[in-house]
Amino acid sequence: MQAAILTILLPLLGSILIVLGTWGRNRMGMTVALLSLVASAGMSVAVLVRVMEEGMLTYQLGGWPTPLGINLTIDGFSAVMLCLVAFASLLTLWSFRGDFLRKGQEKAPAMLGLYLLAVAGHMGIVATGDIFNLYVFIEVAALSGYALLSFGGARSARASLNYLLIGSVGASLYLLGVAYLYIATGSLNMLDVADIVAKNPTSGILFTGFVILVFGVWIKMALFPFHGWLPGAYGRTSLPSASLLAPLTTKVMAYVLVRFILTVFPENTAEAIPALSQLAVWGATAAIVAGAAFALAQTDLRRMLCYILVAEVGYMVGGSFVGNDTALTGTMLHVLADAAMTLTLFLALGNIVRRRGGQGPEQLDGLFSSMPVTMAAFVLGALSMIGVPPLCGFYSKWYLVSGAFEAGQFQFAAALLLSSLVNVVLFFRVFERAFFRKPPESGYDDVKWTRFAPLGLAAIALPLLGLLTGEIVDYLITPTLAFGA
Amino acid sequence: MNTFLEPLVSHFNYVAYIAIMMIGLYAMAAKRNLMKKLIGMGIFQTSIMLLYVSIGAKEGASIPIVAKYAETISPESYVNPLPHVLMLTAIVVSVATLGVALCLVQVIYKQYKSLEEDTILDKERS
Repeated sequence: MQAAILTILLPLLGSILIVLGTWGRNRMGMTVALLSLVASAGMSVAVLVRVMEEGMLTYQLGGWPTPLGINLTIDGFSAVMLCLVAFASLLTLWSFRGDFLRKGQEKAPAMLGLYLLAVAGHMGIVATGDIFNLYVFIEVAALSGYALLSFGGARSARASLNYLLIGSVGASLYLLGVAYLYIATGSLNMLDVADIVAKNPTSGILFTGFVILVFGVWIKMALFPFHGWLPGAYGRTSLPSASLLAPLTTKVMAYVLVRFILTVFPENTAEAIPALSQLAVWGATAAIVAGAAFALAQTDLRRMLCYILVAEVGYMVGGSFVGNDTALTGTMLHVLADAAMTLTLFLALGNIVRRRGGQGPEQLDGLFSSMPVTMAAFVLGALSMIGVPPLCGFYSKWYLVSGAFEAGQFQFAAALLLSSLVNVVLFFRVFERAFFRKPPESGYDDVKWTRFAPLGLAAIALPLLGLLTGEIVDYLITPTLAFGA
Repeated sequence: MNTFLEPLVSHFNYVAYIAIMMIGLYAMAAKRNLMKKLIGMGIFQTSIMLLYVSIGAKEGASIPIVAKYAETISPESYVNPLPHVLMLTAIVVSVATLGVALCLVQVIYKQYKSLEEDTILDKERS
């Protein structure tokens, strides 16, 4: 069963092939990129099916036995994340195919190579079972991300450098946390570390490592006081880069947080440091409120989405530190739901910008009459962000709010509800302009089906994920939770 | 005095890495020149490598190379090679980070003809 490693290797080899083999022949490069992502998505589905049948999957790289060699450890949650990364990147590349081929043609192979490299990095973060290997994958994903975000006109290089400086601090703190874990256990394999930690009394070194590591991950996922890089980096870059990284990077780092809390550290680590859990839940509450407030102040559609993303990070951090299984289930569901919602909204934004040439408030006028199909998908994404029942955003929020009530963290529940209300205001402001104002041009002017199809697929995933919540929780999330306990 | 000095001396490597790390962090946060920020980033990353290398060390141990025809191998006479090997990877990563950062700085310099953040901000506003 080589499918586990092939999900990562295919985009990695594809990026090398594009940079070395198809320089100057952009159409061929695009074909290679699409083919490798399609194959990788197929492999990720194969992994998911196998994990659902047989439980946790362990792949030993090079055949080296587990505690010594590096291995990939894929359980239900990581398998579904793997599928998510594969399909989100495939749909984004499909949707922005024209932009890669047209704009900055001489740079297209470099962008495609970096794109695939970023995908491989994100897949690796999700699949790996080795804490140092995880650092390497974080840096692979981040470095290609920094370079990808700098392709975007005048101010993107400075925003990208800012992201690089903050991102390196986050990754370095993660590495430092790994050092403390290594001092405490002498092992780097996640399951092995968990085993050693469970057999021995927990020590101060372990707690120190936990705190440092968690801070590093918070910086990487842009939790509120560390969020400064996100609107700059995603707001100023080209749309294909933002649409790839905005749904994936923060969500994949949230996955890392959940993985460490559930698998690596013993169950009561977060409760054993009440100051940290309290700080995390209050910080998450602050992040949600601040993200909502910043989003209200934006007129530009893309920057508004970026600040909504900052608020969503608060959901995930808060949910993972509230400290009961309901909230953790909510966090895992929200990681999936938020990735799908952000993807839908950014792809729709891409179609709008392509037709109207901008993302300011006046470009939204009359969108419903001129681009009805794109706006239908946008409305689905927006309703899911708000949390309307059949869509996936509702179910994850439901779990998060009930988890917060169970734990008595009422301020967190209040912030969740407040942010839903703010989302109503934000999106209905957009709808109002798009429905009641007169469009600048007359008549029907929607995108071709080749650009609508990926957006439509992403939008259909929202109610589908919502309706399948019960199955996802039963078959994929509960085994992960049960394993951690 | 002794109670203060003793942990300082016995945990010298930890004290040193924290001091170096804070110097790097200070440079990243407080310096207004982009190159100086990058130098700070390098110092910050190097401090973590120093920590890793120091935790592999043992008193009286030598380099982890087994002599030919050695009959008994006692682990306590060799330093732990694993942290050193990990740092090889980390050094490669930090070199790559620095490379990307220098490219970005070059792009910024071409746009603004300056590496001072204050000048760049002035030009962005105007």
